[in-house]
This record gives sequence, C-alpha cells and structure tokens, in this order.
Amino acid sequence: MAESPTIEGPVAGMMEGVTEHLNRQTVEALAADEPKWLAERRLAAWDAYERTPMPTTRLEEWRYTDLSRKLDLAPLRPVPWEARSFDRSAAPAGLLDAMEDDREASGHLVELDGTVASTDLREEFASKGVVLTSLRAAVESHPELIQELLATQALPADLGKFQALNAALWTDGILLYVPKGVRMERPIRVSRWIESAGKAHFSRTLIVAEEGSQVSYVDEIGSDPLSSQTLVSSAVEVFTRPNAQLQYVSLQRLGRGAFHLSQQRTIAEKDSTLDTLNVSIGASVARLDLNARLVGLGANSDMLGLCFGEDDQHFDHNTSQDHVAPNATSDLLYKGALDDRARSVFRGIIKVHRGALGTDAYQTNRNLLLSEKARADSLPNLEIEADDVRCSHGATIGQLDQDHLFYLMSRGLPRSLAERLVVIGFLGEILSRLPLGGVVEKVTGIIEEKLHA
Amino acid sequence: MPQNEVIQDLGLDEYKYHFITEDEPVFRSGRGLNEKVVREISAQKDEPQWMLDFRLKALKIYNAKPMPTWGGDLSNLEAVLDEIYFYVRPQEKMERSWDDVPPNIKETFERLGIPEAEQKILAGVGAQYESEMVYHSLKKEWDDKGVIFDSIEDGLKNHPEIFREHFGTVIPSADNKFSAMNSAVWSGGSFVYIPKGVELDTPLQAYFRVNQEQMGQFERTLIIADEGSKAHYIEGCTAPVYSTESFHSGVIEIVVKPNAHFRYTTIQNWSNNMYNLVTQRALVHENATMEWLDGNLGSKLTMKYPSCYLVGEGAHGSVLSIAYSGDGQHQDTGGKLIHAAPHTTSQIISKSISKGTGRSTYRGLCQVHEGAVGSKSNVECDALLINETSRTDTYPYIEIEEKRSNIGHEATVSKVGDEQLFYLMSRGMSEEEAMALIVRGFIEPIAKLLPLEYAVELNRLIDLEMEGSVG
Repeated sequence: MAESPTIEGPVAGMMEGVTEHLNRQTVEALAADEPKWLAERRLAAWDAYERTPMPTTRLEEWRYTDLSRKLDLAPLRPVPWEARSFDRSAAPAGLLDAMEDDREASGHLVELDGTVASTDLREEFASKGVVLTSLRAAVESHPELIQELLATQALPADLGKFQALNAALWTDGILLYVPKGVRMERPIRVSRWIESAGKAHFSRTLIVAEEGSQVSYVDEIGSDPLSSQTLVSSAVEVFTRPNAQLQYVSLQRLGRGAFHLSQQRTIAEKDSTLDTLNVSIGASVARLDLNARLVGLGANSDMLGLCFGEDDQHFDHNTSQDHVAPNATSDLLYKGALDDRARSVFRGIIKVHRGALGTDAYQTNRNLLLSEKARADSLPNLEIEADDVRCSHGATIGQLDQDHLFYLMSRGLPRSLAERLVVIGFLGEILSRLPLGGVVEKVTGIIEEKLHA
Repeated sequence: MPQNEVIQDLGLDEYKYHFITEDEPVFRSGRGLNEKVVREISAQKDEPQWMLDFRLKALKIYNAKPMPTWGGDLSNLEAVLDEIYFYVRPQEKMERSWDDVPPNIKETFERLGIPEAEQKILAGVGAQYESEMVYHSLKKEWDDKGVIFDSIEDGLKNHPEIFREHFGTVIPSADNKFSAMNSAVWSGGSFVYIPKGVELDTPLQAYFRVNQEQMGQFERTLIIADEGSKAHYIEGCTAPVYSTESFHSGVIEIVVKPNAHFRYTTIQNWSNNMYNLVTQRALVHENATMEWLDGNLGSKLTMKYPSCYLVGEGAHGSVLSIAYSGDGQHQDTGGKLIHAAPHTTSQIISKSISKGTGRSTYRGLCQVHEGAVGSKSNVECDALLINETSRTDTYPYIEIEEKRSNIGHEATVSKVGDEQLFYLMSRGMSEEEAMALIVRGFIEPIAKLLPLEYAVELNRLIDLEMEGSVG
C-alpha cells in the first residue's frame, strides 16, 4: 500500500510477449482455413494482445505474482492442431487413472494436448438436442452459436493480456449446449491431458444451459511432471439462461513444471443457479481468474474453491462477484492449506453495481499454514454502490486448531494422523457444499495421498 | 410526542466552521511547489543546513514519484497544487500567552472554543494558523516534570539532538509521494517529548486551522513517548469553505518506547473542498501500546492510514477509525499493522457511514513477518449506507509469513434496517430522529472512547447530517 501500483501507458507495453513462436504469423496460420468472422476475431484478439502490456506486480491484480520471474514465454511453442483419436491402449496411465472413476456420466470427452480426441454422449441426450463436441467441430456445426458467444460476452479479448492471447491462439476446446428444459442427472465428464512439455497449450470451453435446463460438468486437467516450463491456458465461458441450473467443477492436477492460467467467467440470468468449484492441487504456478456475473433478477452463484500447496507451489486466485441485477445472491468460500514453501494468494471482490438492490453477497477466505515457510496473502474486497444490500466478507489465516488436535490425540491418535484429519476436515467443508458424485471421493483421495507423502 | 431538543435547537444546515477571518499574512510564498519555495521556507525558519538539505532531497523524491493511481480521485490535484500557496506566515513569532496572539487569530480560535477547552480539560494546547503555530502552552506542572510540548520549529531549535535522532526515521521522505512533499515544505506541527515514567492525566491538544483561500498546510509532528510514559494527544482541524480547493498533507511520526502507552486522536472536520492526504505512523517498542483514534468527518478527499510498526516483543497497536462521507465526499481511510516482532497484537475497528453521494473506503494492511510468532490481529469493518447513491468499499490486504500467528478480518455492509426504524417510530420518534439514533448507536463503540467534548460534538454532527436524509 505504501507504493502506488501504476498502469503503464500503452506505448511502454507495446508488443510485450511477442516471441519467435507467439506472433502474428502463428495466428494467421491458425486462421488460414477458418471462416472469415473467426479469422478476424483471432486477429483482433492478437491486436489486443500486442497493445496490452505484460502485467507487472504494479498492477493490483498481479501484485503477488511476478510474471517476469515466474513465466518465460520465449521458448514456448504453441502446440499445432492435429486430428487426434483416443487410443486407450496407448493412453498415459495418469489419464486412464483419472478416467477410471468417471464411468457414470451423461457424456464423456477426452482432450489431449489441447485437441479433442474423443467424445461420447448418451443417445437419450443427443436425441434431445444436447451438444457435446469439440470447438473446432462446433465452428462448422453451430456457427451462429459460436459466433455469438465465443470470446464476446463473457471473456472478450480486451479483458486482459492472457484473455487476448487465448482468444487469438486457441487450438481446440469444448462446446456443451443443453437445450431448453433438458435435465441431465449425471454429470458430463471431461478429461484433459497435457503430454508435450515446454509448449504452450490453448484451449477454450463454452457451456450454455438454456432456459429451465439442468446439468453438471466436471473438468479434470492433468499431466505427468513436465520436464520444462509448460503454459496451459484454459478459457471457460459459462451461460445459464432463466431458471437453468448448472454446476461447473474444475479439478486441476497438472504436474510440476506447468504454469496454469485458468480464466473463467460465468453469466447467470434470471432465477438461474450457476455454481462453481475449483480444486487446485497441481502445477508449479496456478493462476485462476474467476468472475461470476449476476445479470438477471434472482440469479444465484455459489463459488467454492480449495487449494493444497506443497514444495514451492504458487497459487493465485483472483475472483469477483459482479452483482448487476437486483435480488441476486452469491456466496464464495475459498480455502487453502499450505505446506513447505508453498504460497497462496486470494484476491476477491464483491462488486454491487448501482441499482442492484436486495443483493445478498458473501465472501470468505480461510487459510491454513502448515509449515514455517508457507505464506498466504488474502485481499477480500468489497465495492458497494447500492444501499439495500447484505454483504459481508471474512478472511482468516492461521495454523492448525490446537484444540482439534488435542481432542484427536487424547483419543489415542498419533499427532501426524490427527494433523491429517484436521486438514482433511478443513478442506472437506468445501466438498460437502457441492457433493457431486465421485468428485468428493476423488479430491479427498488426492489430498490424503499428498498428506501421506 | 416527545420533542428531541438537541435536534430542534441546532437548526443549522451548513458547515458550522465556515467563517473567514480578514487578515494579512506576514509572509507568503509564491504559488506552486519548486526549489525556490523550499529555500524560502527554510530561510524563513532560519534552519540549520542539514534541514535544508533534507528538504531539497525530499523535493527531488517528490518530483520523481508518480501520483498514486489508487485511492481517491487525484486527477485534478496537480492543477490544484500549481495554484496553492505552500507557505503562509500569519505572524512574526509564536506566542506563549493567549493575550499576545493577534486579535483576529485569537477570535478565530475563540469561536472554535479552544481557550475554553484549554482551561477545562487540557494539559497543553498548540494552535496552528495557516503554516505556523501561533500559540503553544503547557501547564506548569507538566513543564516541571520535563514534558516538552512545543512547535516543531522550536523542537528543532531547542532540542536538536533528540530531534535529529528521530526526525524522518519513522516515516522516511521516500515512503510515499505526499510524505516526500511534506518533508520538502513542512511547517508547523508539534514536537512532543514525554519523559520516562511520566503519565499525563489530561490530553495535549493541537488545533489546525486553514483560513486563507488556496493554501496548503503541511504540519509535521514528532512525538517521543519515553519508557513507561503515558499520554494522549488530540488534533482537530477545520477550514472555511471556499469555491477553490485547498490542500493539507501532514506527517506524524511517533516513537513509543518500551512499556509506554500513547494515544493519538484526530478529529478532522475540514471543509468539503480540502484534499487531506496524511501519513501517520508509530514505531511501537517492547510491551508498549499505541492507539490511533481516527475520526474523519470533513474534507473532499481524505487518504489516511494510521500505522503501527510493532517492532518490540509484546507490542500492541490499535486503530479505531470512524468515517463519515456526505455528498461529494470520499473518505479513503483505514490502517496498517506491521507485526515485526514476536507476540505482538493488534486490532483495527473501522466504522463508516456513507450518505447521499458520499463514498467511504476502508483500506488496510495487516502484515506478519516471518519470526513474529504468536502474533494476533483482528480487523473488523462495518459500513452503513444511508442512501441508494451512497457507496462503500473495503480493501483489506493480509500478508502472512508466519504460521504461528492468528489473523482474522471481518466486514459487513448494511443499510439502516426498516425494522429498526419502524420500532423507534412506533415509540413516537420522527423518522429523522430514529435515523440519527440508529447512526449514533452504530458509532457508539468508538464515540465512547473520545473525550466528552468530542463525543458530544460527534453526536451533534450526526444529528445535523441526518437532517433531511430520509427518503
């Protein structure tokens, strides 16, 4: 606070981040055989990328993540698109493990190195008009929908440097479209796997739940440890139309070496429910930008998240709850447990726009420091421009609750086991609030595994 | 139906400190800030070379630093600064006897109730008019015990060693753009030394008045509370309302030595055309306590975050902050708590009220350095919104490097509840009275810590401001 974060002038930042591999020619090559509107959209996004300076720690939103030290774009070559198929016998063991628990689903999709390799959707939903397909295929099959919603309303390129980069360079991604009134009991499961180290991967997800529909979507991204720094950029746009209900879950289990940039924006219309859960376990650096926008009367978004960090992992969560419409509610709970020299940043903002009367908005961030060298920074912000609101936020940072430990140890548990239980209980609260089948067990299992190590 | 006499009697609907005293200053610098002005100020004060060097170095730092882009709207400030007088000397020398103060200035402070308060409740009084302290006095019993309560200029002249040892050490010139500005052009303010073990049972008070149009006031205060001492210092600020904007930028440095207890109270009620950008910081040593009580009611824009650097084991720091933002006002206030030693504790309690188009912002930092084991900090912010056009923001920064610590932050935002209003009105109160009562209840936890006169004044102000606020 002592020194002022300053936004550099446009001239100073011109062309920052343009490299031998990330440049206009790469975008032009990608756009070469695409429809004109899409090619133009990519190039406009590239223009936005070129003129936006590289974020520095002088920007509030990047205060605690120094890209000049954490990310080297120069050697990163974008993975080119190539037609791929999913061959179970040749698939990496880690991916098969991840898919093992995902049998019970309304549909599956597998993406390898940013390219969709297989999709299957239960016939009952396909016949009702549900679409689960690769974004590339959707450009052909659903051009109007893609043209209307891809990188326009939710994550337009001028939102920021990396939003622009993804909008210019995405190779493939996922479209899920749920028509009016269709209700899907079991989730859609998406497994994304990164194989090529030292590359830049750009993928997008677009989800639209039409009026009165219901769906849950579980995205899991993973990799083996990556031998050199690998950029994994995910852009996620989610829309719920009136009275729709949607749950979006993202599970991030990338190997060390990954720099994960996940940019998500959800837009909830009248009386719809749009809940998200972000679980960050892997990667060396994971930056999540999550914005929930409540644009319809009575819309509701619950935003849940947890991270568990060890070694020198660095997590940076940047969230916002944008209340544009009256009588909407949002409730955010993010928790982090940090071991070794791991570090987490939580910066969240509740923004109640003028006229958004009757807003109920809450925001809580809790952090557990498990080692001497772990560090947590928390910035829960409020900006309120309407008077008839109920808003609160809270943040805590501390160590394991000694009373809890004492209780468990007095029942004969050794300290190490008691500590493990307290950590699992601390993080488990998040999972209990969005008890999607399979997800709770999977995440609990991952955390237990980490604690035993 | 019972009549609330306080409200009936006030019958004022404008800023009560608006009155202009006709006078001619003894010396006035040119407009704007430059090296010539800095040299003039130093020459007027007949300063030692080291202080002139200090000022000139600070001017360089000021020029090199960009205008903050966070906080309030400073887009017009550079234009304002080009027009203001950085130094206005109202009289030849500071007086020790009230009778010797020039009549027009004396009248000003009499209208503000200062001499009366001095006799009744204060251990000492300082009064600053424009750029200089015009009056300073300390009751004899405290003088006899070695307490020093003087203008900052006399502090430099008469106590050069202790002055130089501490001056600019708590808040270096380069801390921020406005501390650099103050370091270049400071004038007026207090120098306070409380000797070991001396406990003052009544407060010291400094009163700051800006009378002239388009002027900048840059008081500089240095306070040293020696081991085991205890004291309370109060500052109050007012100015008349002009159509042009004025500027106030103080730097307050406090050293609280081991086992000492110091409280610093500010009741800022500048007119609504004043930019008020102040840096206040205390260095708190072993087992010492520092309390900031910060009331921001006036000004166009205030940016002020009183800080406690808890550098000694067991040190305690607290900030109690109350902000009121009416039409066109922005109070960007809060506090900073730096835990740099083990077993240090701190708290911030912040309450703000935004009315009309007013905006109240809480901005705070709580930092626990590695090794500050067993530190505890708790921050609570409550914001009350009166109208649909009012705005409030909360920007806490929490930076924790030590696992053996316990840090919490809570904030709530609410509007005056319809049920509360209905209940009071069903007991026969008018809506305005009910509103004023609820707001008084909201700030009561802080108001009760104020000396009685200030608590009364604050309540009067709330009543006044709530008039016509309904609907």
